[in-house]
Amino acid sequence: MKVTLRIWRQEGPIDKGELKEYLVDDLTEDMSFLEALDHLNEQLVLKNEKVIAYEYDCREGICGQCGLFINGRAHGPHDHMTTCQLHMRSFADGDTITVEPWRAKAFPIVKDLIVDRSAFDRIIGQGAYISAKTGTAPEANSILISKEVSDKAMDAAACIGCGACVATCKNASAALFTSAKINHLNSLPQGKPESHHRALDMTKQMEKEGFGHCTFTGACEVECPEGISITNIAEMNARLIRAKVMN
Amino acid sequence: MNLFFRKSIIAGTGLFLCIFLIVHLSANCILLLPEDISREMYNTYSTTLRESPLIKIVAYLLYASIFLHTAYAAIVTYQNRNAKPDRYAVNNAKENSSWTSQNMGLLGILVLLFIVVHLANFWARIKLGMGAEVAMDNSGNLDVYQVTYSLFQNPYYVAFYTILAIPLGMHLHHGLKSAFKTLGFHHKRGLKVLSKVSLIYAAVMSIGFGIIPVIVYFK
Repeated sequence: MKVTLRIWRQEGPIDKGELKEYLVDDLTEDMSFLEALDHLNEQLVLKNEKVIAYEYDCREGICGQCGLFINGRAHGPHDHMTTCQLHMRSFADGDTITVEPWRAKAFPIVKDLIVDRSAFDRIIGQGAYISAKTGTAPEANSILISKEVSDKAMDAAACIGCGACVATCKNASAALFTSAKINHLNSLPQGKPESHHRALDMTKQMEKEGFGHCTFTGACEVECPEGISITNIAEMNARLIRAKVMN
Repeated sequence: MNLFFRKSIIAGTGLFLCIFLIVHLSANCILLLPEDISREMYNTYSTTLRESPLIKIVAYLLYASIFLHTAYAAIVTYQNRNAKPDRYAVNNAKENSSWTSQNMGLLGILVLLFIVVHLANFWARIKLGMGAEVAMDNSGNLDVYQVTYSLFQNPYYVAFYTILAIPLGMHLHHGLKSAFKTLGFHHKRGLKVLSKVSLIYAAVMSIGFGIIPVIVYFK
C-alpha cells in the first residue's frame, strides 16, 4: 500500500516547525505504524536526508514511550491504544496521514515528533512513592486488602505515563495522569502515611509545570491506552478537599 | 491547589445558579395560567420578591455568583489557552468528546448575552426604573405581567429568548455533571445517575425557558 505522510518537522526546541509531505510506498497492511515510519526513515537515509525523530521502546503497548498525534487523535484513530499497537490496516491505500507531536506548553518539542515529558517525572517526584521498608518481599497476607480496593488501585496503577491525556485535552490538563498516580497509592494501606501530602504536593507540581485545568470533556479517558476513568479526577478532587481540611 | 480552587469557584457558583433557575422557571410557569389569574398571581409574586429582605440577600448572592462564575471562567480559559499555545493542524476532538464539553466558553458567552438582554428587558426597567414607566395593576402592585406580556408580543424577542434557551440547555447539561465531579463527587453509580439527571434538568430548563415566550406570544 501507498500513503502520504504529513509529518511535523522541527529541528530543535526553538526552531520553527512545519508539516512536510512524504509519499511512502511498499507498505503492507500488517506493518505497524511505527514500522511504516522506520520504512520512511530508511528511504530518507538512502536519499541522504535527515531522518524523522520519534520515540518508542517496547512496541508492546506497555512502556508509554511512543506517542504521536495521528490524524487528529492521540495514538491514532482507535480508542484505548498506543501508537505502537496501531497497524497500517487501520488506514486505506492512498490515505494522507497527518502526524504531529503532543502539543502542550509543559511538553516542549525536542525535535520533530519527540517531546520532553519530564514534567511527569517531576510530578511523580512530589509524592508518587511510599515510605515502606524495602528489602525482601513481605508476607503477602500481613496487610489485608479487599478485592475492590486492590482492583481500584490496579486500575489506576495501569497508567503508563504516555501523555495522551495531556495531548488530547484542549486545556493540556494532566489531571488524569496525576489523579491515577495519587489514587493508586492513596487507595492502598501502604500509601496512607503520605496520602494528604501526596495529593497536595503532586497537584501543586502539576500546576507549576504549566498544565491546564480539567474541564471534564472526557477526551482523556477515551484516548488513554489503559482506559483510566475520569472518575479518578473527581476522586482526586475529593482527596484534595480532605487533605486541605486535615492539614 | 489553585487549579482546583478556581474550578471549585466555577462549580460552586454554577450549582447555585442551577438552583436559582429551578425557582425562576417555576415562577415563569405562572405565565401559563389564564390571564386573569396569572396577572394577579405573577404581580403579587414579584412584589413579594422585591420586598423580601431574604430575597435581597439571595439577589446579591446571585449577582456575585454570575460575576464570579464569569470572571473565573475567563481566567481559567485564558490559562488553559496558555497551557496549550500551539494547536494541532488536524484535531478530531468530536471522536472522543462531545461538542458541548469542548465549547463551554462559547456557550457561556451566549448565555451571558442572554442574561444581559434579559436584565435590560426586566431588571433594569422594574428595579432601576429605566425606560418606560411600569404601570400598577388593580391590586396596586407593579404590573410586571404586562411588561412580560408586551415584550413577548415582539416576535424578535420571542425568537431571541427561544433560540438562546438551546445554548443555555447545552451549557447546563455539561456544567451540572462537571460541577459535581469538580467538587469531588466520584461515586461510580452515582455519576451514572448524575449524568441522566443533568440531561433531564438541562432539557427541562431549555424547553421550559424556550417555550414560555412562544406560549405568551400566542396567548
